[in-house]
Amino acid sequence: MQATERTDPRDVKRRQRAAQAAVLQPVSSRLRLASAMVAVASLCAVAPFILVVEVCRELLTASPDWTKVWTLVFVALGILGLRGLLQSGAVLWSHLIDSEHQDTLRRGLAEKLSRVPLGWFTERSSGDVKKLLRNDVDALHYLVAHARLDVVAALTAPLATFGYLLVVDWRLSLVLLVPVALYGVVLSRIMGPGHTDRMTTYEAWQTRVSETTIEFVDGIQVVRAFGQPRKGHRRYQDAVDGYGSFFRAWVTPITRLEGIGGQLLNPVVVLVLVLLAALGLVEAGAMDPVSVVPFVLLGLGVGSIVLALGYGAQALRQASTASMRLWELSQTPELVEPEGGPRPRVGVVRFESVSFGYRAGRPVLHDVDLELRPGTITALVGPSGSGKSTLARLLLRFYDVTEGRITVDGHDVRDLRATDLYRSVGFVLQDVQLVAGSVRENLLLARPGASEADLERVCRAAQIHERIVDLPRGYDSEVGQDARLSGGEAQRLSIARALLADTPVLVLDEATAFADPESEAAIQDALAALVADRTVLVIAHRLHTIVDVDQVVVLDDGHVVEHGPPAALRSAGGLFSRLWAANERALADIGDDAPTTPGPTNPEGHA
Amino acid sequence: MIRTVLRLVPDSERATVPRYLAAVVVHALAQSVAYVLLVPLLEALFRGDLASAWGWTAGVAAAAVVVAVAGYQQAVTGIRIGVGMVHSLQTRIGDHIATLPLGWFDSTTAGRVSRLVSTSVKDAMGVFAHLLTPMVAGVLVPAGVAVGLLFIDPHVSLAMVVSAPLLYLVNRWGRRLYGRAEDRVHTASEESNARVIEFAQAQPVLRAFDAATTGNRGLQEALESQRREGRRLVWASVPGLVVFSSLVQATFVGLVYLVISQTSGGSLSAPAAIALIAVSSRFIDPLNQAAELATAARGAANAAERIRALLETPPLDEPTAPVRPQDSSVRFEAVSFAYADGATVVDDVTFEVPAGTTTALVGPSGSGKTTLLRLASRFYDVDAGRIEVGGHPVDAYPSTTLMEQFALVFQDVYLFHQSIAENVRIGRADATEGEVLSAAAVARVDEIVERLPDGWDTNVGEGGTSLSGGERQRVSIARALLKDAPIVLLDEATSALDPQNEAAVVRGVHELTRDKTVIVVAHRLSTIRHADQILFLDQGRIVERGAHDELLAAGGRYADFWGERSRAAGWHLVGSATTADGSGK
Repeated sequence: MQATERTDPRDVKRRQRAAQAAVLQPVSSRLRLASAMVAVASLCAVAPFILVVEVCRELLTASPDWTKVWTLVFVALGILGLRGLLQSGAVLWSHLIDSEHQDTLRRGLAEKLSRVPLGWFTERSSGDVKKLLRNDVDALHYLVAHARLDVVAALTAPLATFGYLLVVDWRLSLVLLVPVALYGVVLSRIMGPGHTDRMTTYEAWQTRVSETTIEFVDGIQVVRAFGQPRKGHRRYQDAVDGYGSFFRAWVTPITRLEGIGGQLLNPVVVLVLVLLAALGLVEAGAMDPVSVVPFVLLGLGVGSIVLALGYGAQALRQASTASMRLWELSQTPELVEPEGGPRPRVGVVRFESVSFGYRAGRPVLHDVDLELRPGTITALVGPSGSGKSTLARLLLRFYDVTEGRITVDGHDVRDLRATDLYRSVGFVLQDVQLVAGSVRENLLLARPGASEADLERVCRAAQIHERIVDLPRGYDSEVGQDARLSGGEAQRLSIARALLADTPVLVLDEATAFADPESEAAIQDALAALVADRTVLVIAHRLHTIVDVDQVVVLDDGHVVEHGPPAALRSAGGLFSRLWAANERALADIGDDAPTTPGPTNPEGHA
Repeated sequence: MIRTVLRLVPDSERATVPRYLAAVVVHALAQSVAYVLLVPLLEALFRGDLASAWGWTAGVAAAAVVVAVAGYQQAVTGIRIGVGMVHSLQTRIGDHIATLPLGWFDSTTAGRVSRLVSTSVKDAMGVFAHLLTPMVAGVLVPAGVAVGLLFIDPHVSLAMVVSAPLLYLVNRWGRRLYGRAEDRVHTASEESNARVIEFAQAQPVLRAFDAATTGNRGLQEALESQRREGRRLVWASVPGLVVFSSLVQATFVGLVYLVISQTSGGSLSAPAAIALIAVSSRFIDPLNQAAELATAARGAANAAERIRALLETPPLDEPTAPVRPQDSSVRFEAVSFAYADGATVVDDVTFEVPAGTTTALVGPSGSGKTTLLRLASRFYDVDAGRIEVGGHPVDAYPSTTLMEQFALVFQDVYLFHQSIAENVRIGRADATEGEVLSAAAVARVDEIVERLPDGWDTNVGEGGTSLSGGERQRVSIARALLKDAPIVLLDEATSALDPQNEAAVVRGVHELTRDKTVIVVAHRLSTIRHADQILFLDQGRIVERGAHDELLAAGGRYADFWGERSRAAGWHLVGSATTADGSGK
């Protein structure tokens, strides 16, 4: 747990500041106005005390002018009222700005998310996206609605006060600075050399504790099931012990300093210093006694400014890492969308010398050439990790190719508008994607103008019509509310949608068929209806499902090693024959299609 | 807050607490003494009586020394208690979690506990490290000043006594108003965040249908409603924020007014009046400070409460007179069970699994099959009826004895952030190297290992994420094989496996279940066909039971199910060029 390599902290800070400025840019001018209001409000908070001091001066004269005294008191009260108004106004204003800003930010994020390459989402867990939207947008709430105003308020009032006190008596004002200076000395001792390293180590321990907590809790079934309750627990305990002893070793030596530092800023301690100096000055005839009053009224709180700034700095740090992440998102390159362009209708797909890697220097696909003809089914086959899914996703433009090109009816997919591309290329993948809304709305996404008869036709074909009619509000039931669909049912609904979209090209994941074992047969019927008369590219996992397709493309480590009709490949003696043989052996082992093979359980007569 | 937090103080630091509390109180009271002494001091100063002014100053200085010493004491002891508390609470939380019933855990537990262990524990520590002292001072200093002034000017003292509770109430009202507003804004933003997340997840579909921005009604509505809510609540919440701080200052001006009207009436000397005005400002300062800390205090109180609630969650009760199993049979007797959300998932289920036989649980998803496995291994306790393992009720066994009876292969396989070898070894800590290797070989984990860069020492990543679903299940079969327990509870994988992977899993399962009592949630036809007994479940009830052939002959739900599944197994896609008749379905 050593503080290892670090980037230059100054560089990080500069980038964070730039990010913060960029994220705040749309509201910064209005925030400046709010800050100005707060500054004036803070001055108005100090002013009444100054007036009260004048009252005191007046009281000490031989014959006080009572009208003047009362006027001062009422003016003070009036200023307080003004301060209340300004303060309310500033808080209100900043919260309204914040509410506006959050709205803009969320809409902007949604816009942005609809333009980044789809691959962006596959690289991130939904947890990451949540963090971005929930925690980071919330952290910015503090930044916009509170932080700047708090800092402005925390600085204006004490600075104005100090200026005033300097005018009243500069010597006593300097006395006020003595405890602040001493506190600074103590603070620098507390921080000491290597403070940044210790902070880094501390954060590393915190991460370790939270990682082991998650592992401990998530793994608890395993740990209990195998009767080793101390297993996950031990790693957790080790982390907690390590964190505890680091924390203790860090805090113990500075505890005394903390104790001393805290007392230096205590108002009573400051008071004694002021009194001693003031009495000395008065005794020497160098000061009017009444000048001590402003110091007692206003000067003793010098400590609070130091503490307020510390508190604000903490929250600002959080907000600035948040704005950093949001800013990085806004810098994610977007898919370039052409202005206009053709819409393919026939559905001839060509991969021409396509290479692709998720990261530079780590190609996943090498120089793939492939033609998919209308009315045929092409199956992608290969060991896991050979690039099947990646190849299929390139056609859907989840990512853009690194080299070569992919064309539909002769047009590069990058030259097609997204709308036109997806009107020509449809897909049914393993993870079902329904959006909030009614069953009808989910279907109509595919073709907004579709008639009632069309909906029913595709839903019947996808074996889901009866189920929908049984829902409380039929086609108007809301997904996730009164339309609670099983995985298989949701899958059939998305197949119905793909039928309705009626794209000439279709990308299909064969695993879709066994997303839900209970309705596997129904899904398969739906798929059979879907593939008819289209250009179909299917990612195949089980070879016996593709024995009758038109063309098999065998991938190995990103290279196309064989292609041709399945029957020919089976006897060609290449990778496909080996895969096929392994598949046959496996099927025999599994025993589903070979009733003579003994299953995994015991023969009868055992009990 | 204080009582809840005090209960969380570890025994080792408990002796320090009275000293700490005493220091906190003395620290506050000495401050009020200093402020009260300020009145005669300033009065003497303005009268020109410097000699007595010096005298009173000595008094103030003495009080300040007490303030500083007590302040130092409370800081040092407070930090000590807090630091001790962090470690002891984290340890206690860990120990306690290890004793909780498995039913307590769900998919959100890890996140919740992780927040508790880091953030909440630190919040609770903050009470001693820096929160309690200013809070106590916020109450005791003004109270002390008010009481002290009783002997100097009863009017001002009385005004202070009256205004303090008023200020307190206003502050509480304002905070509550603002807190409630913030909560509601938070709820609205949760909703719109959820919509945006859903929006992100549905991107491929939304884009495919050109509905990325316009077509998403849910998102638009949520964003719009949040905007509306946000604005409305801002208006509602602002008064609460501002009224208190204005009122505190108004109180000060009120006190000044009171003092001056007495002076103008002649009942108070000018020097005394000024002294009182000066001290009045000292009366409001700590109030302001305490009010500023109110939010932090509420946070700390909530944190302490959450920790307490966790520590008081009842652990799984262990029997006083532990028993040993007589055989490896399992018996469910009129068992009913509902999860915490209220839905009954097992409804009056009775069946018996004689030792050495296999029972297959079959039925639509959501029919309660997996829950039956969880109940047998006492992840949860039943709501009604009873479950016997080896001739005794499950709750008659100590949890370790009960778990020794079972080898579990469930669908949600968790692997630790460790090497593959260590993950297999979890099956039996004292297994020899050879035993680990042979269990791994049977489950074909050795084949995975060959492909991995560091072989057996390859770290599988957090939760096993660097392995595929099929590979993870093979590791979990290897664990179960290594454990070699008499009863196997098996939830067959439904996720997509290629035939090789699947064959490896089947072979492993075959070995695992040899000569064992088996309860299996079955999806594979071969598994179902060879079971001694099949239970067909629907909506938590057993609707049909018997052997495969009997059930097929009966022509009921099971026969339909079997027909569908057999049809599915023979499925394949047919291209246009090859028109093989009779195929396609």
